[in-house]
Amino acid sequence: MFVLALLVGILASFFFVENSLKYELESTLDLQPQIIITKQKAGRDTTVDEKDINVILNIKGVNDVLSRVWGYYRFKDKRLILIGIDTFENQYDDILAKITKSTELNVSSMLVGEGVKKLFSQYYYHDYFNFILPDLSLKKIFIAGTFKATTKLESNDMVVMNKDTLRTIFGYQYNEATDLAVIVKNPEEVASIMVKLQNIFPTYKIVAKKDLRITLENRFNSKSSIFLILFIISLFTFFMIVYDKLSGLSSTEKNEIGILKAIGWRIEDVLQARFYEGLIISLSAYVVGIMAALLYVYMLDAPLVKNIFLSYNDMDISLPFIMDYETLFLLFLLSVPVYLFATIIPSWKVATLDADEVMR
Amino acid sequence: MIKLDHVSKIYANNTVALDDVSLNFAEGELIILKGVSGSGKSTILSLIAGLLKPTQGDVVVDAKHISKLPDHFCSQYRRDNIGFIFQKYNLIPLLSVKENIALPLVPLNLDEDVLHVKLEIVMKMFRIEHKKDMKVKNLSGGEQQRTAIARANVNDPKIILADEPTANLDEKLSLEFIQILKALKSSHKTIIVATHDPLFFELEFVDRVVEINNGKLVCS
Amino acid sequence: MLLTPEIITIYILNLIFFIFASVAFYYSVKIVFLYDKNAMSTLQYKLQKQSYLVATIIKFIFYTKILVFLFFIFTLDDIATILPGAMCGAGVVNATAYGTYLLILKIINLYIFAYWLVLNTQDINSEEQVYLKYKFQVYMAVYFLLVGEIILESLMFFSIDTKSVVDCCGTIFSTTDGTYMAKLLSVDPMILLATFYTIYSLMICSYILKNKYIFSLLNLLFVIISLVSLIAYFGTYIYELPTHHCPFCLLQRDYNYIGYLLYIFLFIGTFHGIVLGLMDFSVEEERKKYRISLFFTTLYLLFVSYFPIAYYIKNGVCL
Repeated sequence: MFVLALLVGILASFFFVENSLKYELESTLDLQPQIIITKQKAGRDTTVDEKDINVILNIKGVNDVLSRVWGYYRFKDKRLILIGIDTFENQYDDILAKITKSTELNVSSMLVGEGVKKLFSQYYYHDYFNFILPDLSLKKIFIAGTFKATTKLESNDMVVMNKDTLRTIFGYQYNEATDLAVIVKNPEEVASIMVKLQNIFPTYKIVAKKDLRITLENRFNSKSSIFLILFIISLFTFFMIVYDKLSGLSSTEKNEIGILKAIGWRIEDVLQARFYEGLIISLSAYVVGIMAALLYVYMLDAPLVKNIFLSYNDMDISLPFIMDYETLFLLFLLSVPVYLFATIIPSWKVATLDADEVMR
Repeated sequence: MIKLDHVSKIYANNTVALDDVSLNFAEGELIILKGVSGSGKSTILSLIAGLLKPTQGDVVVDAKHISKLPDHFCSQYRRDNIGFIFQKYNLIPLLSVKENIALPLVPLNLDEDVLHVKLEIVMKMFRIEHKKDMKVKNLSGGEQQRTAIARANVNDPKIILADEPTANLDEKLSLEFIQILKALKSSHKTIIVATHDPLFFELEFVDRVVEINNGKLVCS
Repeated sequence: MLLTPEIITIYILNLIFFIFASVAFYYSVKIVFLYDKNAMSTLQYKLQKQSYLVATIIKFIFYTKILVFLFFIFTLDDIATILPGAMCGAGVVNATAYGTYLLILKIINLYIFAYWLVLNTQDINSEEQVYLKYKFQVYMAVYFLLVGEIILESLMFFSIDTKSVVDCCGTIFSTTDGTYMAKLLSVDPMILLATFYTIYSLMICSYILKNKYIFSLLNLLFVIISLVSLIAYFGTYIYELPTHHCPFCLLQRDYNYIGYLLYIFLFIGTFHGIVLGLMDFSVEEERKKYRISLFFTTLYLLFVSYFPIAYYIKNGVCL
């Protein structure tokens, strides 16, 4: 029973971690604009020119276009995401909107996420930080405060500062931006607008939010499918072991069944008793496995399994508690009925023993 | 009430246990099957209990052809009508006295109270209720025997079969068993005892002694 | 080719079903051809014991199948989110040529397996074992249906293409195309309702007259008319949208999962009704089955009737 519980537990932890991360990523995704336009040079992302905005605004169905300045900054093996905001622009992101309203970010201060604050403090940067520019000069930016974003993924490694300041840090020209975010209020129109955009800018890369979601899901699915196949192989082995074990009955057991049949137990009664036995074993293995997984994932933070998924970021994230009933159903189907099926033939063999033979 | 009609039983290894045996038992009779071990008397008991099917012939109990019943009904017949006291008792050692006695009734899914009442009656009758929670493996020989008898009676069967009941008992306990047998006889149950213990052959409350030798009836 | 964990789970369980069903098939064949009630040889006893194995396997398969069927419905909904254009299970079912047939076959198989279980219970409880050979013959036929279902299901999942757009239920169940479905849906709702309630009333009559064959037949018709009227008429009142005819969306949270309740009631009620005409039962059993059947079909009727009536009361008009 413990083997089954262990198997269930491992698989369950895997699914729980996956579900939590999926939720986090999807929540992050929800905050993205519908269409993102990037320019490509030699197949790699490069900066866009803000003057394209006017052309895009003329397309029917486009509600707004924002130029985004953001990027990564490496510090001591960790990767920070730097986001530039402009207090006079409309914000699509709720958190960023809140920030622009609540704080007056001047050109030499920034807001940092909790993970970043911790990182800076580690290296004694308590009140300010020196960014190294592409020309190797330093730019000192003061830490105006920390913020808490809606999702942990987002906030942990994020730094928010004035757009133009960020341009300086990245070495952008005054009208250069990282990409353009196109806001389209009507989701039905996204596809047609994308086509129009592609026609206007044949060399630009145009990505829709829905595609991102599908890509993400597929990536998750492929990872979990591999894991599932591993699980199935172990389940199969387990099945064989159970079958084998139950088929080889001890003589005491045979004797006991013989006695039961002699005193009037029918074949169905013996089968039923064995079925309940199997049911109790597999159900408790299932419950124990799930409990163990919950403990491992949500209390201990899933040390090894998490890293299988989290390849994109080096920061540590604690997983939010998500309960997905379908996952529980799936795990149930893979454990309890499978175990019970493994017990059918051995139980039947036992139940049909001739009482008389056994007692002589 | 019980009729064996030209019954023969040949086991898988070709041993002939019974050869064309015909017997009749009336209701309420106490019959001793006399014969040495291997004579076939245990086979007769097994046939009446429906634990075996004859190779030839018919076993009829209360106008039911039990030798032709499918397993489902056979077991049910056994549960409802037969109380079997085995030679080696065949109790389950790790269960308590009470649990062992209750075993035949388990598949019936009776109410807790009904079950309790039945158990109490039979435990009192055979003076074993003071040990009801003790594990069987810790009982003495005589107590185990009384438990086995209690179990055979818990379903209030019409027929009681005993296979070499005194084979493992000393004289005192054998006599005790005979007293129990007398009490059972007065309850109008049909009782068949297979034994080669001479203590049984001369009892005055025994209705008949039937002798079996080498699978055949010995005419008396 | 679609391979999510849910689909893999279904494949595994199907594999288990296939293996065990084949074992049962093997023994069924043996029993059908070799069993002789009157012979007493060791072979016969062996066969008798093996009949228990077959019965146990089939029981297991049936009960697990119900769970897997539910899971299948969830999976369809799941896939709908990654299939462009599909917004509920209907889109997924329609995504391949196999979908609709698979669904119908699954439902038929549920009825047939349930029938087999009743057959088995009746057989075991009779001393002469009246249905012994018959039930295994039935199983032999059922086996092929089961295998057919597994193959169809595998084919369907295999051929789902996440890149091609599928119709959503709005298109599938529209009244404007020239499809079969459209013709069905453009029948005057009054006729549908009249048929629906008439069949129900006839069911009650045949209950009073205790004619089980007519009752059984009427239950069969009731399944069909219920499904049609649900899609064409009652569904629209549950959705409060005259063009929303989908039978799948009922199963979603937005509608409080009412679909599950309705379908379960319909299945239990009609199954018990249909089975009455297929076998002989003791008087008590028969009475029980009549009652269960009427209870659940009445429940179904009350539930579906509630929606248009409630709508009318709330809004003063019909859709």
